[in-house]
Amino acid sequence: MRLLDVLTPMQLERVKAALAKPALYGPDIDVRDYLLAEGPAAEVEVDEERIREVGIDLERAKRTGYFMQIDSESVRYMSRLPGVEVMSIEEALEREPEVSRLIWKLVDPAADKYTAVAALRGRGGYFVRVKKGVKMEEPVQTCLFMVKGGLQAPHNIIYVEEGAHARVLTGCTIMPESFGLHAGITEVYLERGARLDYVMIHAWSRGTHVRPRTGVLAGEGAEVVTYYINLSTVRTLQTYPRYILRDGARLHSVSLILGRGSSIIDVGAKAALGGRRAAAEILSRVVARDSSKVVARARVEGAFGRGHVECKGLVLSDVARVEAVPELGAVGRGVTLTHEASIGKLSEEAIAYLMSKGFSREEAESILVRGFMNVELVDLGPQLTAYVRNLMNLLARAAI
Amino acid sequence: MAEVLTAEGLRARAGDSLIVHRAEFGVREGETLYIVGPNGAGKSTLLKALVGYPGIEVDGRVTFMGEDLTGVPMDERARKGLILSHQFIPRIEGVTVRELIEMVARVSGSGTSAEEVADMLEIRHLLGREFGKGFSGGEMKRVEIAVTLAARPKLALIDEPDSGVDVESALIIAEGIREIIRRSPARSVVIVTHTGFISKYVPPTRVCIMRSGVLGPCSGPELLDRVLREGFRIEVA
Repeated sequence: MRLLDVLTPMQLERVKAALAKPALYGPDIDVRDYLLAEGPAAEVEVDEERIREVGIDLERAKRTGYFMQIDSESVRYMSRLPGVEVMSIEEALEREPEVSRLIWKLVDPAADKYTAVAALRGRGGYFVRVKKGVKMEEPVQTCLFMVKGGLQAPHNIIYVEEGAHARVLTGCTIMPESFGLHAGITEVYLERGARLDYVMIHAWSRGTHVRPRTGVLAGEGAEVVTYYINLSTVRTLQTYPRYILRDGARLHSVSLILGRGSSIIDVGAKAALGGRRAAAEILSRVVARDSSKVVARARVEGAFGRGHVECKGLVLSDVARVEAVPELGAVGRGVTLTHEASIGKLSEEAIAYLMSKGFSREEAESILVRGFMNVELVDLGPQLTAYVRNLMNLLARAAI
Repeated sequence: MAEVLTAEGLRARAGDSLIVHRAEFGVREGETLYIVGPNGAGKSTLLKALVGYPGIEVDGRVTFMGEDLTGVPMDERARKGLILSHQFIPRIEGVTVRELIEMVARVSGSGTSAEEVADMLEIRHLLGREFGKGFSGGEMKRVEIAVTLAARPKLALIDEPDSGVDVESALIIAEGIREIIRRSPARSVVIVTHTGFISKYVPPTRVCIMRSGVLGPCSGPELLDRVLREGFRIEVA
C-alpha cells in the first residue's frame, strides 16, 4: 500500500482543493513546482559529517536503532532495541495494513497546501512502535536528509503502547547548496501512561522552505517531553504542532530558536487540555540576529487542568524582529492558565561586568545568550541530555 | 617600593558630566590603599576609569606594572591582572554562581575551584543559584569577592565592599580581601569605601580622601581615623 492509497476518495477531493490554501501562519509559498513528478533518486553517498552536525551518531545508532531517509527514499533502518520496532512507513503499511488507520488522524491532510502536497506526493517516513511497558534508555535516532533538494515529505508515525517509555532523536538537514521544500508529517500516539521524550533539531540551509506538520494524542496519564532546536539559516520555516491531552496527560514543550541571516521563522505549539488533571507547559526561547524575523507562538486551551506558556525573545541586531504570541483560552472554571512573555536585548551592564573579569565582548555575549537559552532540562536520560546541552552551547556560539 | 599602578592627570567623564576632576596617585607594592569620601565624590567612577570601563571617557595616563594602559580595552586590562570588584553585581540569567566562578577561573587561568572560594566566602549554598538573583546585600558582596578571587588579580580595585553588610558578612569579606592580597604578586589592593567599616579588619597602609571629583590629600592610616571622627570635610595640612 502506498501512502497516497490511504486517502479516501472524499479526502482526496478535499486535499486537491487544499492545494491552493495558504497556511494560517508563516509566509505563503508557491508549491506547484513540488507537485511535479520527481526524477530518479540521487546517487549519493551519505554525508556522515553533515549528519553528525545534527547530532545523529551513526556508530552508536547502529547498535541501538535508527532510521535514515535521503530525499524521498528510506535508505536504512533497523532496531536492536528489544520491544522497539523501527521501519519505513511503507514497510509498516505492507506488514500491517491497520497502520493506515493511524495516518492522517491527528493531522488533517487538507489543512493547508503543505499537508496537501505531502498527502499527494509524500514518500517515506518512519514508523516507530514501542511495545507495552518497554522503557528505552537510548533513543532511536532518525535522520531526514535532503541532498538533491526538491520535495521531501515523509510521513512519520510514533506509537507508544501502554506504560512504555520511548525516546526519539530526530535530525533534519540538507546539503548546503540544495533548495527545496520539507513538509514532514508526524503523528504521535501515546497510550495510557506512556511517555515520549522527543528531541528534534533542524539544520536547514538558506534555500529551504520548511513546513512540518505534527499532531500528538497523549492518552490518559501519558507524558510528552519535547525539545525543538533550530540552529541554522533557513529561507522560511513554519510549524505549529498540536497536542491533545487526555485525563492526567502532561506536556512539556521547549523550543530553542536561533534566527540567522534573513530567515523567516514562525514556530509554535498548541495544547488542548482535554481531560481533568491535564497539564501543559509550552516554553520558547528565541534569539534573532542579522535580519531574521521570528514569531514564537504558544496556545493552551481547554476546560480542565493547568497550562503555562512562556515566550522569551532576545534581539541581537537593529533589524532583526521577534514577536511573541502567547495565547490562553479557558472554558469554565476547571482550568488555570498563565503566561509570561518578554523580549529584550543583551544587558550592556552584564556585558561590561563580564568584560571587567577578563572576558572578551564576544565571550561575554555568548555567556549571556547561553544563559538565556538555559531552560531546565527534564530527565531525558544521559544521551539526550548531553545532546541538548551541547546544542545549547552550539546555539549560543552561533548566535554571536 | 615599585609602583604597581599610577594615574597621572586623570580626568573622567560619564556622558556630559565631568565626574573625576583630578586624580594623581600611585599604588605601591605591599600597599593597602583606601580611597574614602562621601557619596557622589567620584570614587566608583575613578575605579572605572582605571579599568577602562565602557562609557567612561578618560584623559590622562594610567600605567599598570610599568605598562601604559592608554587605549587598552577593559577586558585586556583584566587579563593583565587589573580587576575591578564591583559595588553591585548584575543578574545573569541562566548562569549559576558556580558556572560564573568556574568560567572566570578558566579565563584568568587561576585554576581556582568554585568550592574553594565558596568555602572561604561562605557562599556554598549560593553556588547553584542564578547569578545575582535575589541575593541579600551581604551575599552579593561575598559572591563578588569570590569572583574576584577566581580572577586572581595582580591588583584588585574593590568598590564599597562594606556598604550594606552586617558584621558577620564584613568579617568574611575581610578574610576574602586578605586572601586576594596574599595571592597578588605585589601584595597590594585598592579599597573604596564611604563608611570605612572594613578598615577595622583590613587595615590601610595609606589613605586618600576624594571629595567633589578631586583625589587627595593622601596620608597614613591615621587620616582614616580622623575622617571617621571628624567627617570628610576636615582640613588636612
